[in-house]
Formats: sequence, structure tokens, C-alpha cells
Amino acid sequence: MPVINLWAKDGYLSTPDGNSIYFWGFAKSESDPAQLPGPYIIAKQGETVTVNLYNTLSEPVSITFPGQPGVTAGGQPVRPQYSDGKLLSFVNHAEPGGMMSYNFTPTNPGTFIYESATNPHKQVPMGLYGGLVIRPADFKPEIKEYKTAYGAGTNTEFDREYLLITGEIDPYLHRAVENGKPYLVSKYLPRYWTLNGRCAPDTMLMDRVDYLPHQPYGSMVMGLPGEKILMRYVGAGIENHPLHPHGAHTRVVAVDGRLLRNGSIDLSYKRFTVLVGAGRTCDQIYQWHGLGYTPQNPIPTTLPNLRNMGVGDAGWTMWSGSPYLGVKGDIPVGVVSYNEFGEYYFMLHSHEELQITNWGEFPGGMMTMVAIYPSLSPDVGLL
Amino acid sequence: MAIVGRILQAAVGSLSLPDKSIPFWGFGDVFLGKPQNPGPLIQATVGDQLIIWLMRNFITSIGEPLSIIFPGQENVMVRKIPWGPFIYEPVQPQYRSGKMISLTNYLDEKQDIIVEYSFTATKPGIYLYESGTNPEKQVQMGLYGVIVVRPQGFNIPGHPNYMTAYGAGTNSGYDVEKILVLSEIDSIMHNDVLPNVYYDMLKFKPDYWVINGRSYPDTIRGDNISSQPYGSQINCRVGQRVLLRIINAGFQNHTFYLGGFAGRIVAEDSFPLKTRSLDATYEKTGVTLGSGQRIDIILTPTTPGEYCLYDREYHHLVNKDQFPGGMMTRITVM
Ligand SMILES: [Cu+2]
Ligand SMILES: [Cu+2]
Repeated sequence: MPVINLWAKDGYLSTPDGNSIYFWGFAKSESDPAQLPGPYIIAKQGETVTVNLYNTLSEPVSITFPGQPGVTAGGQPVRPQYSDGKLLSFVNHAEPGGMMSYNFTPTNPGTFIYESATNPHKQVPMGLYGGLVIRPADFKPEIKEYKTAYGAGTNTEFDREYLLITGEIDPYLHRAVENGKPYLVSKYLPRYWTLNGRCAPDTMLMDRVDYLPHQPYGSMVMGLPGEKILMRYVGAGIENHPLHPHGAHTRVVAVDGRLLRNGSIDLSYKRFTVLVGAGRTCDQIYQWHGLGYTPQNPIPTTLPNLRNMGVGDAGWTMWSGSPYLGVKGDIPVGVVSYNEFGEYYFMLHSHEELQITNWGEFPGGMMTMVAIYPSLSPDVGLL
Repeated sequence: MAIVGRILQAAVGSLSLPDKSIPFWGFGDVFLGKPQNPGPLIQATVGDQLIIWLMRNFITSIGEPLSIIFPGQENVMVRKIPWGPFIYEPVQPQYRSGKMISLTNYLDEKQDIIVEYSFTATKPGIYLYESGTNPEKQVQMGLYGVIVVRPQGFNIPGHPNYMTAYGAGTNSGYDVEKILVLSEIDSIMHNDVLPNVYYDMLKFKPDYWVINGRSYPDTIRGDNISSQPYGSQINCRVGQRVLLRIINAGFQNHTFYLGGFAGRIVAEDSFPLKTRSLDATYEKTGVTLGSGQRIDIILTPTTPGEYCLYDREYHHLVNKDQFPGGMMTRITVM
């Protein structure tokens, strides 16, 4: 029976333009830093989960688990909490310095969100959210037919999986909270848009790079040609984001952690863009079979005229500088190659294009890459 | 097949927000004499002929031409008293000097007494009716309401369509039904709008978010307490099928969250998702509705208790920047 401890704490986020932003987040333990998003919770269908929330913040904090039936807090069904007749939390909360223990038994596999249910207009944008993945009861990752998102026979087998959680940050409102000033949603104007708590290009960095102690999760999607890559989108912000990967359409297999299937009828569908709505989740399978590629038949790329290449500041050349999935070529002076292994990249981003900036400066924001490698360790793309 | 007739008037009234009152424009039943938001609920059965009279208001007129459009209804006909047309004509956009001034035939309060709209309810579902004249201003001021069309036999025990939203075989049977009309209010606009004077909607910035015209906590109060007669509190027992009929009458998108429950979507824009050949109903924990969209969703609570239903776009859960408020209500499961 998994027991998860989450510590509500504060900390500072780092953005690629050099900003440092106060936030609230969940930490794994008393000594770990607050993180954005909160620690991934991975649990199994039918197995009771205990989440112990320890609140070190100066106001009550709670956690809600939308889509999980029968959640209890302190052994009783969760209830809205009132103070002087005024609603304070949608569910039971931990007082400052206190703790609250939640229990639930997931009935459905899938991708879910967990988030604060106290002053949610402030606490969720401040960072008190995370992703929850429920494995199907028959999940056996070592057997192909049982490495699925929704159970054997549901057409949801995958080779690798990635959790991509969207969010937005209004630096002025975060500063207001830091300075103990009121959080005025009428002033809300996000300037940063995040995937797994990071803005591009930091989204493409590895997990747990030591200079982003509060943002441990990368968003680089990596796989092999033809592999089934499961992308689990979670909309943790308060805005809706049209997300799409380039290179291939995705097949949407579930929304809000509910399989798109009725009995034997498969209701999954293909999409280019899906709207990742506030609090919504969307599971999709991405497969790239580009252009007749095989290892024996690498696809040549002609080096474009240098003047036609977007060679920006160091590290910001989107053209890779070599034939993809094949033999490496020369790269122009000043260009930092992103495909040391001959891999090929596709963008994955919000199509609301202001959101792929950092405070208006392109490129940035809610953007990452899908990298298709000629070969890749099986350990990549595990949650 | 009956005739469902309603006589509506538009009037200036006073809308109650949790901390103040503001002017609004609303439809009201002529015999009750008071405008309301949303407008009077119009209920009909498939096959009924609906005859809606929009009648001149001699006392508390909004002071502008106005009309009603019926999105989702086909073959809407119109006639006018006393200046004609006297026999039904299809409704048409109205132009003056080549400029469109109304999406449909309108009531000119200087000369018309009654505009009569008529159509046959052909499909079950939930529909909006709303102003089609200066709609960017008049709909925001409150001129909208709901028509529910029920399948034949919905009220006859033993009939296969009994207590269903869309008839037998559509997985839309319910024990409890609640209509939730979402919208938003810019209280400054409501105070500043003048009849027949251009209002710059680029200034539109809502500060209240409403369900059935009310902001939380007024949403969970009883019916008929204000110009917004319809409460949103939902009561049910464990295991009952609760049909939520959610309509977005506002200008913004809203993501209505089902209190942590997953519900089954049985119809979108009043098209049932289960047909004879395909069951395309699906489950969700929240639904995003764009302007004018409707969703029918069935919840079956399994645990007694009290749960908040709310707009997951959390910045809409405030009244004047203060949480709790806005687009939120409650379900009590016994
Ligand atoms: Cu794109
Ligand atoms: Cu909203």
C-alpha cells in the first residue's frame, strides 16, 4: 500500500531569462525542496493510496484528487470546510504546521491531477499541483501486452511514456504572495507558460539537473521510429492550452483518466491538436514512422543555405546540422548541435503562440521537443 | 402535440450580487411583470408548436429594439402585430441602409406591439434563447433564457422515454435534473450601459461569474429569492442518476468541474451520443464549454456527503477578487 508524503513549502523557481520566482509547491520530504510540479504519484488500480500532507505554509492547504471516488480525510469522507460560515476548502485541510492524511482506492487506471483545494484561485497557480498516474491492475511492464495505460486489450500499449503538465505563472502575483500582499485575480496576467514547471528551453534539459533544484522534471520526449510513445497531458493551470507535437498525429485514448471505449467499441480518435483544459487530462499515443526510414535507409538532409537557417543565440539553432537518423554531417560555425546521436527533432508546443515565449521573447514557454533516435536505451521514458 | 405559448417582455430590473445590486435587462413573463435572469424556463415536448410572443413593454422598457433568436431550432417563423407581416414568414436578419441591425426580426418599441415567433420542437434537448439585436450588449445585460424540449412520454410512467432526456436507448435516464446556465457579469458595464447608446465592448472585463444568474454563495440559496429565481443547489441520494444540463450563455469559456466525480457525457449540443448503432458516451471529471455550447452529463454519486461543483478556471471563483464566490455550487448526497 503506497504511502506518499507531501510537504507544502515555498521556494524559488528559475526561468530561462534569469528570473527567480517565489512559488509554493509540494516536496517529497521535510528536507527536500518544494518542487513544481509536485512529486509524481504512481499507484495501482485497486490498491489503496495514502497521501500524508504536511503543511509548512502560513495558511491552510488541502489536496483534492479529481476522478478518485470515495476519498477520505482522517478516515472520514472528505467534506468542504467552512470558517465562520465561509467556504475555506473544498475538502479537509491541514492547518499551518499541521497535517492531514488522505486515502483513496483508485477504481480506474489513467492520468489524473492532484491539487490544492484551499484558496485554489491562488494556491494552484502558486504551484500546489502534481500528476497522478494509476496503473491498470494487470500492469506488467516486462510483457508487451501488459505494458498498457488502461489494461490489456484496451489498445493502449506503449513503449515509453511521458507526463507533461501545463501551467502558467504571473510573476507579479507570485511576488504579491511573497510580500504578503493580496492575490488579486483581476490583475492576473501570466508571463511564463510552463511544461512540468519549466519554460523552454529548460524543458529540454534532463530530469533533476542540479541547477534547477525546484523543477526536477524535464519534458523532452524521446523514442525510436515506430515506437508507441504515450503522452500524458495534464492541465494544471487555470487556462486552456492547445498542445500538439509535430511529426505525427496522436491517437487520443483517454480523457480525464477515463478510457475512450464502451465495451468492445473503441472510441479513440486521432488529433493534431488537443485543448488541454484547466484541470483536464488527455492520454495519447504518438507514433512516428517518418518518410520510409529504416536504419539501412537513413534519410539525407540537405544542409540549407546558412542564411536560411535560424541561427540564434548560442544553442538556439533548430536545424540539427546533420542528416537525421543517419550519419552526422558538419555543423556551421557557432551552431550548437542538438543531435549528437543523429536523432531528429519535432516541436511539441502550445499553438497559442504567445505562450511559446518567456515574457514575450521567443523562443520559450510551453514548448519542448520530441526526439526520435536511431537507438535508445530502454530506460528512457519511464515514469 | 400541443401548443406551448409564452408571452415575454423585456424590462429593466435589479440583479442581486452577493455584495450589491446592479441594473440588468431581462426577459419576464408578461403576467408576472418582472424581468428575470435567466429568462423564464420554457418547457416543451417534441412535436409541440412553440409560440413566443415578444411584447412591447410600456412601462419599464429597456428602450432599444430587441428580438429573440433560437439557436438550434429550425424553421423559425415570425409575424408582427399590428403592422405585419400578418402571415408567418421565415425569420430573417434585418438591415437598415445596408447595415445589419438585428440577427432576426425585432420588436421596435416605438411602433410594434407584439412580435410572434413560432417553431415546432423537433429534437429533445436544452437550447438557449437570447437577444439577436445588439447581442454583444443585450445578451450580456441578461437577455437570455433556456428552452427544454423533452421526448414524448417523458412524463408517462411505464413509457420507454419516461424520465429520460433524449428518449429510450440514449442512456439519458435520470432521477434528478438540474439546469445550470453559466455566464459572467461586468458590473461596471451593467451600471454604464444606456439604451440606444453605443457601449464599447472592448472594455468588457467581468468581475462576477454566475450560474443561473447568481454568484456563490447565492447559488446555493433557494429558488425565487431575487430577480434570479433559479437556485443551483443539487440534492440527491446515493446511487441516483443526476442529470446536469450545463449551458454556457456567456462570452467566456468555462471548465465546469464535477466536484471530484467523473460523470458520463450523454449529449453535446443536444445531440445524444448514444444512438442505435453506436454508444459514444464517455466519462469526464470536468467539461469545457465555449460560448453557446451545451452538455448533458450524468453523475451517479456513490458516497454520501457534500461536494462543491465549480469552474476549474479558478479565477472565476471570486466575487470582487475574493474567494469563495463566482461560478460555484454544491451537491448534497444523502
Ligand atoms: Cu506547431
Ligand atoms: Cu470560467
